Amino acid sequence: METLNIFSIKSKRIFYILLGMIMLVLPLMIKSSFALEILIRILLFAFIGTAWNLLGGYAKQLSLGHAAFFGLGAYTSTILEIKFGVSPWIGMFAGGFIGMLASLPMGWLCFRLKGPYFTISTIATANVLMLIFLKFRDFAWGAEGTTIPNLGHAPLMMQFETKTPYYYVVLGLLFSALVITAWIERSRVGYYLVALGEDEDAAEASGINVNKVKRNIFMISAFLTGLAGTFYTQYIYFIDPQTAFNFNISIEAALVSIVGGVGTLWGPVIGTMLLETTSALLQSWFGNSIGGIQLTIYSLILMAVILWRPTGIVGYLKEIYQRRSNAKGAQ
Amino acid sequence: MMTDALVVKNLSKNFGGLRAVNDVSFTVKKNETLALIGPNGAGKTTAFNLIMGFYKPDSGTVTAFGHEISGLRPHEVCNIGLARTFQVAKPFGGMTVLDNVMTGAFLRDAQPERARSAAREAINFVGLSAREKFDARDLTTIDQRRLEMARALATQPKILLLDEVMAGLNPYEVDQAVSLIDKLSELGVTIVIVEHLMRAIMAVAKYIVVLDHGQKIAEGIPSEVVKNPEVIRAYLGSSYVQAKEVLHD
Repeated sequence: METLNIFSIKSKRIFYILLGMIMLVLPLMIKSSFALEILIRILLFAFIGTAWNLLGGYAKQLSLGHAAFFGLGAYTSTILEIKFGVSPWIGMFAGGFIGMLASLPMGWLCFRLKGPYFTISTIATANVLMLIFLKFRDFAWGAEGTTIPNLGHAPLMMQFETKTPYYYVVLGLLFSALVITAWIERSRVGYYLVALGEDEDAAEASGINVNKVKRNIFMISAFLTGLAGTFYTQYIYFIDPQTAFNFNISIEAALVSIVGGVGTLWGPVIGTMLLETTSALLQSWFGNSIGGIQLTIYSLILMAVILWRPTGIVGYLKEIYQRRSNAKGAQ
Repeated sequence: MMTDALVVKNLSKNFGGLRAVNDVSFTVKKNETLALIGPNGAGKTTAFNLIMGFYKPDSGTVTAFGHEISGLRPHEVCNIGLARTFQVAKPFGGMTVLDNVMTGAFLRDAQPERARSAAREAINFVGLSAREKFDARDLTTIDQRRLEMARALATQPKILLLDEVMAGLNPYEVDQAVSLIDKLSELGVTIVIVEHLMRAIMAVAKYIVVLDHGQKIAEGIPSEVVKNPEVIRAYLGSSYVQAKEVLHD
């Protein structure tokens, strides 16, 4: 925003540099592998959430089918690795590309529908994909899935003996997704996304090719989500249709963004931090005592956020900031 | 040679059994302000939607500056140089006034800084500069209409279609709107306006086309059209007869 003065731009830059340095040295300070695992999970879902946010947040096209791209990314790199010996580093981009291609027919079908009908159709397409991978045993191991052969320390095959390198990989993914989002947010496309999310007719009348903009952002969002699929499979050394196309991935991608603030750069990151730490802490506190209590508390927190802060945490902070700067302007 | 800005020829559109627009033709000359009037349900807004590409005509053509535009999508029509406002204003509610208008300005310039200054110009033109940082949804009705006009202007239209921009305005605001339209006309914009308020129409329109039940029943210069017995019947009389016709159809 142009209201920011030089001082605050400078302090913002310092904040980003500091944040970057902290994120880079963080795994070196953390000795507990449990904590590192939670961190990796946070970064992964912040990444998926950021990818989802481009379509679901900025353009308000609430997809609950992003597991489709996650799964396609995961399967593409795994098939390439196991059957053709292709490194997952290449397979990852191939997976993103396949996800991107899949978004074309999926968008062609689903964008005909609006609002909740669009959402339902995305769920259905992701489910159909899962069923395809469940039923066709020959090319993708069917329901029992497969483990990724453990090569020990093989950085070229995206396999590491410790968790730390995985941390850096997913940190890099999140960083690039944030850079892409920040760039889109400032460019014409960012304005177009928000505009069509607000009112498609008015957007068309203002010269926006709504279908094309939607299709393109869906492609970018799907590509990034596909990368996440490859990473996750490499990280857990296992793939089957139920994990790769799990509905929870779609839900989580949307939830972290909604809780953190849809259509904001940092929303999905903040949302994931809140939700993942809460769920991990609740799990370790209550996990053994009363079955299901941690999920109940988790759901209550979710309901509270959605009821009282429907614009999400970042949205709420922005409102406060805007109110204060408006009040200052009025003085 | 003087080209016509907008030529509508034998335009028809049915919705189910309803003939919303029935074989309507009219021509808007360059830099002329034309008013499209008629009772509620006469097909004025449908005609706008057909011209702008929101509906596909069943038959007939629309030509703007020699290009046939019927069958094009709305954003393509906008790109050719036609912009519109909506009867019920459709601002991008969650965006600020400036961002709303920038969205329109981006059509002609993808560079944000230049789009921003073009947007500010349009906002200034409609007199909304003081509200630049407001969210569009927090504006009053008249300011939302102003915003829509600014957003439409930012796309640099040669033809501007205004759909009932004066409905619900008080007399003072109507005067403001009228002078805004005059200012636009001075800039060389061709204007087609749908309006109910006769005082405003008489002030801005050089030419009037009257629709009733989807058909053109009269056209001409304002002073003649208001004396036309067909027009008087459509507006004042035979509402009972019309109701009966509808029931029997």
